[in-house]
Amino acid sequence: MDLDTDVLVIGGGMAGLAAGIRSQERGANTTLIRKGQSATSYSSGAIDVSGYLPGGSQQLLSAREGIEAITSLYPLHPYSILGFGSADNDDVPGLAIERVGQAVEWLTKHLKSTPAQLYGGIDSNLEGITLVGTKKPTALLQQTIWPGEFAVDDEGVMLFLGIKGVSDLNPKIASKTFLDNQARTGEPPHKVGNASLDIAPFGHGYNLSTTNIARWLDREENLVTFIEQVKKKAEQFGATYVALPPILGLEENLKNQKALQEATGASVFELLAFPPSVPSFRLQRGLERVFIEKGGHLLIGHEAEPCGIESSKITEVLARSPRRKVEITTRSVVLASGKYIGGGLAATVEGLRETVFGLMTVTDEFRESGKTRPQRLTNVVSLSPESHSLFGCGLSVDQFLRPVNPDGDATAENLFAAGSILAGYSYAMEKCGLGVALATGHYAGETAAANATGGGV
Amino acid sequence: MTEEEDYDHIMGVLREERITPYNEDELETVLSIGHCINCGLCLQHCPVVAGVGVERFSGPRSIAVELSRSPPEFWATGDKVFLCTGCGTCREVCPKNVEVPEIVNMIRARIFEHRPDLVPQELHSVDKTLLEHGLAFAPWEDLEDKAESRDMRLERLNLPFYPNRVKERAEVLFYPGCQAEERAQEVREAGKVVLEAFDVDYTLLGDFNCCGLPAILLGDDKTARELAKHLKEKVGALGTKKIVTTCAGCTSNLSYLSERDGWDIPVYHTLEYLIEEIGIESLTEKLTQSEDTQSVTVHSPCHLIRHMSRQLAEYAAQIIEAMPNAEYTESNLHDSCCGGGGMVGYHSPDVAQGVVEENLRAIERTGVSRVVAPCPLCTAHIEEMLFRTGSSVEVDDLTVFIAQRLPKKE
Repeated sequence: MDLDTDVLVIGGGMAGLAAGIRSQERGANTTLIRKGQSATSYSSGAIDVSGYLPGGSQQLLSAREGIEAITSLYPLHPYSILGFGSADNDDVPGLAIERVGQAVEWLTKHLKSTPAQLYGGIDSNLEGITLVGTKKPTALLQQTIWPGEFAVDDEGVMLFLGIKGVSDLNPKIASKTFLDNQARTGEPPHKVGNASLDIAPFGHGYNLSTTNIARWLDREENLVTFIEQVKKKAEQFGATYVALPPILGLEENLKNQKALQEATGASVFELLAFPPSVPSFRLQRGLERVFIEKGGHLLIGHEAEPCGIESSKITEVLARSPRRKVEITTRSVVLASGKYIGGGLAATVEGLRETVFGLMTVTDEFRESGKTRPQRLTNVVSLSPESHSLFGCGLSVDQFLRPVNPDGDATAENLFAAGSILAGYSYAMEKCGLGVALATGHYAGETAAANATGGGV
Repeated sequence: MTEEEDYDHIMGVLREERITPYNEDELETVLSIGHCINCGLCLQHCPVVAGVGVERFSGPRSIAVELSRSPPEFWATGDKVFLCTGCGTCREVCPKNVEVPEIVNMIRARIFEHRPDLVPQELHSVDKTLLEHGLAFAPWEDLEDKAESRDMRLERLNLPFYPNRVKERAEVLFYPGCQAEERAQEVREAGKVVLEAFDVDYTLLGDFNCCGLPAILLGDDKTARELAKHLKEKVGALGTKKIVTTCAGCTSNLSYLSERDGWDIPVYHTLEYLIEEIGIESLTEKLTQSEDTQSVTVHSPCHLIRHMSRQLAEYAAQIIEAMPNAEYTESNLHDSCCGGGGMVGYHSPDVAQGVVEENLRAIERTGVSRVVAPCPLCTAHIEEMLFRTGSSVEVDDLTVFIAQRLPKKE
């Protein structure tokens, strides 16, 4: 089995798919291989671009504000690298904001026709409400997760509506946490209720998952019964907001939300979810569909075989599926293989290793980490605002996102890296994981395509 | 005690405790299970869980983190592990490469060995047939009846009959698989038509036997290994250089056996052989006009796309697109299990039905008049399920569909 492609993308999460879609749009034939889903499929339904400053102390009002601060303070943060541009660029924050902003708008446009349709942007961070009743700052929410603006004098009632047998949402606890928070901040709504529905899709009201219910609601005949039940509860509580676990559908969530809002007169929305979730399923699938619609070649279930880089160019990659091998010849490669869960980085007692090409890895302080024991990069406190250095490890790259060797030169002239495999930021602390993946993927796709079709970056 | 006596003693204790040590070739699978991070991504994608819920089938995660962990208690899991269709979707989405489909077979093998009473009764009858005849289905009693059934099928499908060839040192061994050998005989003949059309130097097995996949799936590891051994001997004696088969399950299992047991022969599905060895250009040249335009969608067998490579789904699409007056429409669930896998249909038809329901709806949504599958087992299963729903969509094996469009030899 042989394949020839202009751009080969290794990895199929947010970074890989953004790179693939962009590269395909820029006229390069693009093949994307992935083995397994990972971080993007574990996301909550929010796309964070910049939620907190490194250190985790300062909550940011907008992603724009965050990128501006980060690029001024941390010159090797991936956002700063996006801001480097050419040698005569003296406005790193400006270029970084421009590039991230473009990527965000671009994604919003592409996902509009998918169930993962987005709301928001980089000019103002939204507050998504989670399954446990807390709030988190984020740049974009899936449309069906956006509760709407709360007016200052909002007299409305927020109803947390659980589903019997779906353990993700305990409406009682969530409503209590939410109410406590509202009382503390003085923000509306101040009235909160909780209730549960009994819908039993397999004939029983126990041991059900959000995915089960979402699939069930994708079938039109089930929606009618569901609307009736939600309406009854909403009326009983006089609810103006109805918070559901993320169950509105894998495909039909937008339509279902609309039907529910029309029937109840309330804002009906989904809560941000635990991984893996229905919203992340919609996001992953939405991105894949866009890639395929653009003419991209998606090869699921194939893993890049580890290989060394012998010359300054990568021309061939071997992809392995369970019982077959595909030889792929290519002109550019985008490495978006993820971090520890995605498998792009392996942390063992011997040190940190990049798994496909054996590229140099660095710590969050940009020291070579090939022989650093990962234990030394963890904090004694598991949950602390400082997070763990381990999260900041990865590849060091040049201004074109090409991984560099110990001398600081590009390891291969046609190899670009994007997403969580990059060093220099902590997604857990900064709340910027999907944002970095999107913006670097978008840019890597552009450069890889230009390199493949025009020759050179 | 001598070393040998020690060994026998330990084996005796293990037997008493109903523990079967892992085979060398199973170790990789066993170790992969330890990598499960309990994330539950597989549960979102498992078509059995989607079809019947996690209460009935606890799903791949439960198999990885619970049901496969304690060798003496494997048999307490029988009501769950026999419901896995082995489609491989979980392995495909797993970020940690956990080999759930393989571990299912290993647990089944241990249940079969130590607690055969917990193996669904229907599977014991299949096993009996395998033991008696070396085939997944009881052979025809009267060979004339068999030939008559074959001729009727060929006439209905307008396919020619070419005499069977058995010879040594042919380039290709054509291995139809049990379903095509005994039941869907038109698929066996269609495979021959394809090879004849391109003047391939091929042979059949003089004495056909099953590749052993059904034995693996029902847990009879001993019979599976026995069948594989016989087949290896027969293939070795014929001295062919390649194996071509029309069955998805056979392709994947023979590819596995060829590597595990050192057959040293590449195995191709008809689709792969056509694209990789014959070439799409030569195929396109030969493809003839059919009488009327057909709108077609493809069902992609799990054993081809997930146990081998997704490239094969593209091969199928390429071939259909090369056909004059065949219009190809992709179903958005073309890659979802037909429900017929893992021998589930034999003992729990309600589960098989639950699994395939969404696929059938997706096929109907495409609005095509025909669905084709490059596997006689998927074909039979989808045909039966569509028939039950009263659908007018027709079903064909893809090899048959191709053979119908190839010139007949004089």
